[in-house]
Amino acid sequence: MSGALSHLRVVELGSGLASAYTAKLLGDLGADVVKIEPPSGDSTRRLGPFPAGRVDPETSGLFLYLNANKRGIVLDLDDAADRARFAKLVDRADLLVHDVAPAQLGRCGLEPQEVTRGRPRLVATAISPFGVSGPYRDYRAYDLNLWNAGGIACLNGGGPGTDDLPPLRTFGHQALFQVGLNAAVASLGAIFARETTGAGQHVEVSAQESLVTILELTYPFWPYCQMKATRLGNKPIQPLDFFECKDGWVFLCAVEEHQWKTFVETMGSPEWAGLDIFGDRLQRAANWDALKPMIATWMAEQTVQELYRLLQRRRVPIAPVSTMGDLWSSKHLNARGFFVSFDHPRAGACRAPGAPYLLSRTPWTLRRPAPLLGEHTAEVLRELV
Amino acid sequence: MSKPLAGIRVADFSWVWAGPFCTLQLAHLGAEVIRVECRDRPCVTRLIPPFADFETGLNRSGYFNQYNQGKRSLTLNLKHPRALEVARRLISRSDVVAENFANGVMERMGLGYEEVRKLRPDAIMVSISGYGRSGPERDFVSYGPATVPLAGFSSVTGYKGGPPMHVGISYGDPTAGLHGAVAVLAALCHRQQTGEGQFIDVSLWEASATLLPEALLEYEMNGTEPPRDGNRNPHMAPHGVFRSEGQDRWVSIAVGSDDEWRSLAAVVGDAELSSPRFRTLADRKRNEDDLEQRLTRWTTTVSPEEATRRLQAAGVAAFPTMTNQDVAEDPHLNGRGFFVDLPHPEVGKRHHAGVPWKLSATPCEVAAPAPCLGQHNREVLTDVLGYSGAEIEALTAAGALG
Repeated sequence: MSGALSHLRVVELGSGLASAYTAKLLGDLGADVVKIEPPSGDSTRRLGPFPAGRVDPETSGLFLYLNANKRGIVLDLDDAADRARFAKLVDRADLLVHDVAPAQLGRCGLEPQEVTRGRPRLVATAISPFGVSGPYRDYRAYDLNLWNAGGIACLNGGGPGTDDLPPLRTFGHQALFQVGLNAAVASLGAIFARETTGAGQHVEVSAQESLVTILELTYPFWPYCQMKATRLGNKPIQPLDFFECKDGWVFLCAVEEHQWKTFVETMGSPEWAGLDIFGDRLQRAANWDALKPMIATWMAEQTVQELYRLLQRRRVPIAPVSTMGDLWSSKHLNARGFFVSFDHPRAGACRAPGAPYLLSRTPWTLRRPAPLLGEHTAEVLRELV
Repeated sequence: MSKPLAGIRVADFSWVWAGPFCTLQLAHLGAEVIRVECRDRPCVTRLIPPFADFETGLNRSGYFNQYNQGKRSLTLNLKHPRALEVARRLISRSDVVAENFANGVMERMGLGYEEVRKLRPDAIMVSISGYGRSGPERDFVSYGPATVPLAGFSSVTGYKGGPPMHVGISYGDPTAGLHGAVAVLAALCHRQQTGEGQFIDVSLWEASATLLPEALLEYEMNGTEPPRDGNRNPHMAPHGVFRSEGQDRWVSIAVGSDDEWRSLAAVVGDAELSSPRFRTLADRKRNEDDLEQRLTRWTTTVSPEEATRRLQAAGVAAFPTMTNQDVAEDPHLNGRGFFVDLPHPEVGKRHHAGVPWKLSATPCEVAAPAPCLGQHNREVLTDVLGYSGAEIEALTAAGALG
């Protein structure tokens, strides 16, 4: 069965996660992706995690995850001959996706007008922290800086009595994943348009802007009410919070009246739950400092999976705080075939997260493990001749 | 030049955030998105704050108006058989069908994929849900905030030694919405080549768990759970958010190489930072508490903006912790034309987040503000579905357009 994007040739020139994730999304749906690495290898080869903790650029888990289904070649773009090979590779591509810093675009002929010249059908997608124009154009930013620049970090951390704690990042490289996703959306839009217009184009994607689009209801509080969003801790309705059970944590979301009533019954209808100061969800939030410890005392006697299943059967939204071990052993995820296995010449047999979506006719597939450094250089260069 | 998805129609039965965020991407790309809404049970986001100037109203919520820009609204009472006829006609004339109801709701209305493909053989149907449409937990209740801990984010996010923490937004929703949009666009490309439609099942849990590879693979390769470690990063130091001059003001600073470290030390001007105790990443990780204290001594004397200016000038990655107000007033974002202020009949001009990408040949500006509830009933029923005036009156009288 061929993939939805088997007709596309993609060239990826990236460093790290953002454009690698864009190209992964396309490659996993069938596109032929050629990933270009510098002679020193991609930066994610150094990030791990590594089997048994042994640092080896060929076994970095993050690299293996991001680059399965791709062919990998090494080009030194400081070298004129390799720059010519790069240009030839782009000549025959449908899509080029890169995250070269705006100030560096001229170095490899990647300025918006330059890259599409003589390549009328090429879609060239440029990912950058702040876009290719404006006062922050040349600012440097790692994932942490972007999470702050996009307004998300300030929504997490702190809370009552802990205002001295800093705004808190989310695990991993979420800003780069988000901009990679947005770049895939915009790139596929341009690829789709090409069938009718016959023409490719330049696509520019900003990480900061990508994050501002996911601020949920907190962003419009400014333009709609001139109210600043505050950090977590003071929620307008409750229960909507974490609790520690005997063997782990849960997140309880009993914010509708019927959910609260069912939850109180499940606790055995303790007397305090009927107090007027906990009369509705607004009061439960206003008096959360009194209510939370009482719920917590009951929660401390429960076990996570039993409580999760019991309350879910009674239609109360609750979820376990899944550990990584919980995810790997989840019956639900495994029944849906979420995890995939591959065999890598250096890392050996390994499992990884698989499809983010199930397409009935053109499914997500894992066709080959991530390339060794330069594994396909000769093969791809032969195709250029 | 017309937009990329000009001529593509989306019958959008989705609500709340994940589904509407998926179809917002399609609307940005020029698809004609028709949101099917119910007056008895309006979209949750129409009912919750912020309401413009604190005045409540179904068309006044910033949450709804942010995520439904450029779409049209058709109200149907889907409990009414004649409304279902209208829905079926809409589906038969649409390229994409989107929904994110609880499992089984579309099937019970006779609008599941098996019916959809009879009405429109090449339809692409995208179904977004917390758990997905198969598997033992598919009927579990899923609320956005709970999918963040379910997917694994909370167990690895938090201060060192502290409890699991949230993201601050229902992160699974936009993540599933964007993945859904990628899948729909890929399916549209496939249909363009072959004429074939298909069904797409997106779960918030899976779409967001795919963004935790470092943690999942740490467990797979080494059997260990990554500890919660605040803002720190095993590969960089410093890597944190530091208190600045002012009330609850902060600046993020991250150093990825020894060169960047030397540049930072020169800006901060604390001679001790140039000592061998901080020379390499291993040194800085070993003495990170002291490093952070010394850095904070400097950051508390300058504003986040000033710290950012000085550090960026030296090639060090730094940026203020932006609030929603900071974002709305940011000169860079405003200068790039990111915000959209189209006049809305009930709330006037408001500063909405716009499209985070720019296409050079087929530009994608937001075409219209979010719709008022039922604003496009007559034009959709007439122009898209071909109902006569008399038929529309009959549908109205029967209560089908509720």
